[in-house]
Parts: sequence; structure tokens; C-alpha cells
Amino acid sequence: MIGNQLALIKRELWEHRAIYITPLVIAVVMSLMSLTGQVTMSAFGQEVDLAIFGASNVGETERRAAMTAFLVIFTSVFALGAWILMIFYSLDALYAERKDKSILFWRSLPVTDSETIISKLLTAALVIPLMTFAFVVVTHLLNLILWSVWLSIQGGDAGHLLWSAAPLFDNWAATLVVVIAMPLWLSPLIGWFLFVSAFTKRSPLLIAFLPIFVVPMLEKMLFRTTMFWEAIFVRSSTPPLFKGIDAIGIFDEDNFQITADTVSLLAQIDLGKFLSSPSMWLGLVVCGLFTTAAIYVRRYRDES
Amino acid sequence: MTSLVTARGVSKRFGDILAVDNVSFEIEKGKIMGLIGPNGAGKTTLLKALLGLTDCSGELSVLGLDPFRQRKELMQNICFIADVAVLPRWIRVSQLLDFIAATHPNFSMSHAQELLSRTKVRHDAKVRQLSKGMVTQLHLSIITAIDARLLVLDEPTLGLDIIFRKEFYGNLLNDYFDGERTILITTHQVEEIENLLTDIMFINDGRIILDTTMDSLAERYSELMASGDNADKARGFGPIFERDVFGKTVMLFEGADRERLAGFGELHTPSVADLFVAKIKGAAA
Repeated sequence: MIGNQLALIKRELWEHRAIYITPLVIAVVMSLMSLTGQVTMSAFGQEVDLAIFGASNVGETERRAAMTAFLVIFTSVFALGAWILMIFYSLDALYAERKDKSILFWRSLPVTDSETIISKLLTAALVIPLMTFAFVVVTHLLNLILWSVWLSIQGGDAGHLLWSAAPLFDNWAATLVVVIAMPLWLSPLIGWFLFVSAFTKRSPLLIAFLPIFVVPMLEKMLFRTTMFWEAIFVRSSTPPLFKGIDAIGIFDEDNFQITADTVSLLAQIDLGKFLSSPSMWLGLVVCGLFTTAAIYVRRYRDES
Repeated sequence: MTSLVTARGVSKRFGDILAVDNVSFEIEKGKIMGLIGPNGAGKTTLLKALLGLTDCSGELSVLGLDPFRQRKELMQNICFIADVAVLPRWIRVSQLLDFIAATHPNFSMSHAQELLSRTKVRHDAKVRQLSKGMVTQLHLSIITAIDARLLVLDEPTLGLDIIFRKEFYGNLLNDYFDGERTILITTHQVEEIENLLTDIMFINDGRIILDTTMDSLAERYSELMASGDNADKARGFGPIFERDVFGKTVMLFEGADRERLAGFGELHTPSVADLFVAKIKGAAA
């Protein structure tokens, strides 16, 4: 069972090379942008780019906050990339094998439909996030090294100005929690995409997103309510993972006070709230239902 | 003799169409069974039912297993090459071998590599870079390297040139078939497999219209080429089918007295292709 899962997940990485090419491209582009000064920060009311905070006299805490924001900018671009990747991957996962007619070959091997579909769910919800996390860590380190070289050439003390100011482990630990928690939160959507991918005869993207826009319109017209839209919107924007503030509001200047505490990303995360959220568990149940439906479709549909 | 496949009253319906209609048969170990039928006769549906790819009604047992409900166990001992089950085009040969080695308990990597070394298929090539003939060589090499008890071939040589087709069947007999393994094969190119087969089944409109060994086929069926009066007299024996060739009449008889027929003209054992046409057209007439 586990041996099969490893082989199946490896297979997904062979077929869907975008899973590692996308973060690789993001890493290269972001690193080039930070080198050429395109990634600057306008946090805390001042433009803090590499040159400025290397030489500026901002305090210890402010520098930590600036570094945290800098690291988070990288992470958020990777996270956005991972989310887009997850959508496209799960929509293609069970569609491509039917389009290229290889499904009967795969089904001629001693692997059950459940094993295959679970491997695809794991790829979307675990492998893509972990791959993203690995690229985030490597990109952070690579950029810190590049900046250090740059700072040293300018005569600055990179060890003091950059490395001691960068809360790397706090940041990485928080990132790891977020990349694992977000797919759990978004799992009903991943399940829906896999199910669409398993049944649709054409254009999975259209079939998957059409109901997300049409159902709220119908609901509004027929019942004058917006429950479905709110469920989808809340689901995609604000996981109950952060204390007090939502994901977008973390670095909102208006409600942000720089203190030693707010600089720690890990301190912003409230795992208890996340794990005790009924909506999170409800989402997992919905994901389970869609996944079961996808297994059923792959098993019972006749391909001829 | 032990039966590898037992079908009793197997049917499969798609909406209004009965693709397989109350079919019963057995395939014994060590046989090479040909399943012959026109397009849309239900061959592929029947094979899919045997392979557990589609559910069906009736009683169907393959290697003692229920193919649809025990597909994973079944696939450890059964292999198939089908025109509709193509190898994924994006995969590399080496990746394909690795994947099968990881998932198939009866696959021998060294045997597969040895078989492939006799071909031009390179390990670092992607399937999309191979010619159709090479893809079939690859698929056959993989399947030969799997120690399976039953091999199902559905139009395995479709679209291949004559050289690859001859080589395919040559390799099948030399490398795969050892008297212990069993093969079930369907094809339109009946002439090419006729000499391979030990048993044959004809299927038409979802029903099996002939199920016999190749040996008894020669005893049961005879083909007479006669002309003029002789043809008229021979017609009295009730041919199941007749056609005209170069001004002579060729008649096909089932269970007729060969010695008496021999007096009317040239007597042969019919080819499978001719018998097939006679059975299908004779049934339609």
C-alpha cells in the first residue's frame, strides 16, 4: 500500500512537471527581481529596500519586522503559485489519462482506483505544498546569501544587519504550518476539482468554475440570499488559522503595531482555533465525499 | 484440465443495446484462444468484463476471482495489450519500467531489460518518440516479463506493418507462451493468427456462435469447390454458406460426410476467415 503510494506519487511528478518547474520559475524570477531592486517594501510607512535597510538606522525590532515582511513577500508569491498549481493539477489529474487514452493501461496494473485517486489527492494537498515549502526555504537562503555578498561589498556587516535580524526559523515554522493547513481548509475545493476531472468529458476548468459563479447567481435570483457565495468567499480568503487578524490583514499598517510579539509569525498562528473549527472539519467531509465520488466514477464508468 | 475462465450466462447492457447476450464458455489453462467477431459484436465489451474493467450480469470467474470486484488481485496474474489501452506518451521507458517494478509483484526487471535490449527501444526515450511498432515491442516486452497466468490481447497489432506483426507473434510464441500460460486474443487479421490458435470462438451480435478447438474444426467443417451439376448435387447436403469463385461454387458444410462430398469436387478444410464469413453471413441469411 505505502510502496504503491510512493510509486504513484513519483508517477505524478513525472507526468506533471509543473509541480516543481512552477516554484523553480518563481524562485528564479523573485531572486532576479530582488537582485535588481524590484522587490522593495512599502511596509511601515517607509520604503525599505535592500539598500536602505542595509544601511539605515532602524531599530532591532523594526529591522526584524522589515526582514519578516521581506521573507513573507517571497512566501506569498510561492503560496499563490501553489494554489494555482493545485487548481490546475487537480483538474488535470484524472482528465489527462482519459484524454491520452492511457487510463486502461494504468488500470491494467495491480493498483486499485482508490489507491490511484488517493495518490492524486495527496499530490495536490501535500506534495505540492511541501514542494513549495522546500522552494521557499531554499529561495530565502539563496537571497540572504546574495544580499550578504552585496552588503559585504558595500562594507556592511551582513551577519548583524541581515542574518541576526532575519527570524528564519520562526518564519519557516509558520510557513510549514500554513502550507499544511491551507490545503486542509481548501480541501472541499480540491475534492470538487478532482471529481470534475474524473467525470467531465471536456474543459474541466470551465465545468469546475461555472457552478461557482452560476449557483450564487441562481441563489440570489431565487432565494434572495448569498449563502453559497459567502461560503466560497470565506473559504477561499480567511482560514480560521490566525489570531485576531485574517491572512490579508497581517501586515496592514493600520492595525499593525510593531512589537517583539507581532514580529513573530508563529505567534500569529492559532492552531487550536483551526483544529476546533467546525467549518474545517466539515470541509474535510465534503472533500471525502467528492473524492469517493471520483473513485466511483473512475471505477464504474465504461470508457468505450 | 483446469478452467482459467468460466462464464455462465454473462450479459452486458448499454441502455437499449445488449452488447453481450447471455454468453457461456470456458477457457482452459495452456490454450491460445482466438475470439473472432465483426466490429460491434461485443468482443471488446466481453474482454473488458473479463478484465474487470466493466461490470456485467451473470456468473463470471477469471482465475477463480470475480474480475470486477477483485480487480487488483486479478491484475497480478493477468496482463493485457489492447488497442484502446495505450501507453502514456509522456513517460520515459525507464520510468515506465520503474513504475511497473514498484507496483507489480510478478514483474522481472532483468527479463524486461533483456527483451528490450533486442529491440531499438532506448531506455531514456519517451514513449511519444517511439514508432508505433516500437511501442508495441515495448508493451510486449513488459508483458512478457510479467509472470502472468492469462494474457489478453485485443487487436494487438492494429496499425503495424507486416514485419512487426510477424515479429510480434513470433516473440509471443517464443518468449511468452510456454504451455503453462494462457492467451486470449482478438484480431481482424485472422489469417495471421490461425496457425497459433488451439481454440476458437466466434461472436456475433453479443452471442457466441461457435466455440471449438482447432482440431475439431477440421473434422466438423469442410469446404467444397464444385461446378455445374456437381454443385447442384452437393447443395443437397445443405451447405451453410456458398459463394462463387472464378465460375465455380465454393460451399461450406458443417458435419457433412467428407467421403461422399469428395466425389463432387475439391475438398478442403476451410480457413478460419472463410468459416467466419460463412457463419456470420449464413446466420444473417
